[in-house]
Amino acid sequence: MTTIGRRACVAALVGVTFANVGRLHAQAESALAVAGDVSKPLTLAATDLKGMPRTTVSVMDQGREVKYTGVLVAEILARAGAPLGRDMSGPAVATYVIATGKDGYAAVFSLGELDPAMTDNDIIVADTVDGQPLFEYQGPYRIVAPHDKRGARGVRMLQKLDIMRLRK
Amino acid sequence: MLTRVLRCGALILIGTSGAIAALEPAPPAYVWNLPHGFPKPRVPADNPMTAAKVELGRHLFYDTRLSANGTQSCGSCHEQARAFTDGKERAVGSTGEVHPRNSMSLVNIAYAGTLTWANPMLTRLEDQALVPMFGDHPVELGWIRPGTALLDRLRRDQTYRRLFAAAFDRTSKAFSVDNVVRSIASFERTIISARSPYDRYHSNRERDAISAAARRGETLFFSQPFTCFRCHNGFLMGGGVDFDGRERDAEGGVEFHNTGLYNLAGALSYPPTNTGIYEITRRAEDVGKFKAPTLRNIALTGPYMHDGSIASLDGVLDHYSAGGRTIVEGPNRGVGHDNVNKSRSVRGFTLSADQRADFLAFLNSLTDEELLHDPRFANPWTRPQETR
Repeated sequence: MTTIGRRACVAALVGVTFANVGRLHAQAESALAVAGDVSKPLTLAATDLKGMPRTTVSVMDQGREVKYTGVLVAEILARAGAPLGRDMSGPAVATYVIATGKDGYAAVFSLGELDPAMTDNDIIVADTVDGQPLFEYQGPYRIVAPHDKRGARGVRMLQKLDIMRLRK
Repeated sequence: MLTRVLRCGALILIGTSGAIAALEPAPPAYVWNLPHGFPKPRVPADNPMTAAKVELGRHLFYDTRLSANGTQSCGSCHEQARAFTDGKERAVGSTGEVHPRNSMSLVNIAYAGTLTWANPMLTRLEDQALVPMFGDHPVELGWIRPGTALLDRLRRDQTYRRLFAAAFDRTSKAFSVDNVVRSIASFERTIISARSPYDRYHSNRERDAISAAARRGETLFFSQPFTCFRCHNGFLMGGGVDFDGRERDAEGGVEFHNTGLYNLAGALSYPPTNTGIYEITRRAEDVGKFKAPTLRNIALTGPYMHDGSIASLDGVLDHYSAGGRTIVEGPNRGVGHDNVNKSRSVRGFTLSADQRADFLAFLNSLTDEELLHDPRFANPWTRPQETR
């Protein structure tokens, strides 16, 4: 191998390495962890969410209707093994979820209010707004609770859903 | 045949004075052409928007004859080139009296839930316009009620005779203080700004309209521990908006905040000329509470805070990162951080040099340059009023 060829090879390897680091970094940035007291902890990528059943909800933002699309939080929690539907009884009713953003902001939801078998709250993990990706300050994911009177639980830059059981 | 019927009908109608009024065409409605994401402004039922009223209001707004001594107009303290502020720490009236507070921007004022820095009761631009005209503490435009001298002055001008006739009617009754403030308010409601690089980024999805630093700054703005958005929220990035159809709650839905700018010893922790909404409510917990101004065009609207006591945006960031201002000497000395009325959102934070630069890039992206030269909002008088 010539010097030029070796240099090109090294440069290519370095390039590949940096590209991989960049991709991994981007994946880490867009990963959504589902953890806590569940049987199957998950780490979801953007493509995973795109492949799940999609839900669109509307919220009014200062006189304007805004449509968020994403996945019901319950749909995600079910895949992690959270007790939903018929399993939502007895001690399971005392289960709650902490949604945490990249900046540490957090909000709590009871599992019951997330479960479509119990309520019609339609609380979602959104990844698009009006058909476009969320802005950087919001995304890549955020909680949208369309029936909350105030938006304080709409955790932006969502990174983690922790399931906690008060009774077992 | 149809023509004859209409002509006949018209003759019958002309038989009564009420019917004459019915035949007069209604003035053309004002066309808003609102930007993306901006709702229709609330307009008082007794002052519907018309293009003629807006044009009259623009002439009045910029006419120095609107002050008793002919030296100042509304535009003297609300300059288009400064996003309708004046660049002074505190406004100066036509007689030289210094106002206790900084001139607020009039940009997007149509959406303000309350007007001025610290009056929860003042919600109509028509009412607010009376304050600089007739107020005597401080004197601004310097008129004395009922304003007969002002109306005589306007009535003598040929341009105003034409504009008042177009906006109202051809009778001398058109020249009234009520119609003056209706017209000024109508013009002010048209000053809508949404053409900043930030707007292009958000409304048009032009990612490169603002820099990466500005996008990072936006993220900081909405993140812990900074959470600037808690007070500067919504499409105006300011305190409390109002618009057509919005349910109104107490105090116009506007929150007022004590940011720890002062902490004087004694009964009042703020300088006596500027105690915030306490001046209205007389509740001790309201001392030092002021409205959060819009951050749109903020790079142009310094000096900052209700009394213009911070010269630059860098200084404002210093104030909030410290969780309040400390003044070590003089009559205003005190540790603002410890003010008992201080907002829970003003807790202080550590701000790196990079984060500071990102914040400033974001705030600078909110400037609408087109607004500063938009002929719709410009001074219509092409020569000094005295020479006409």
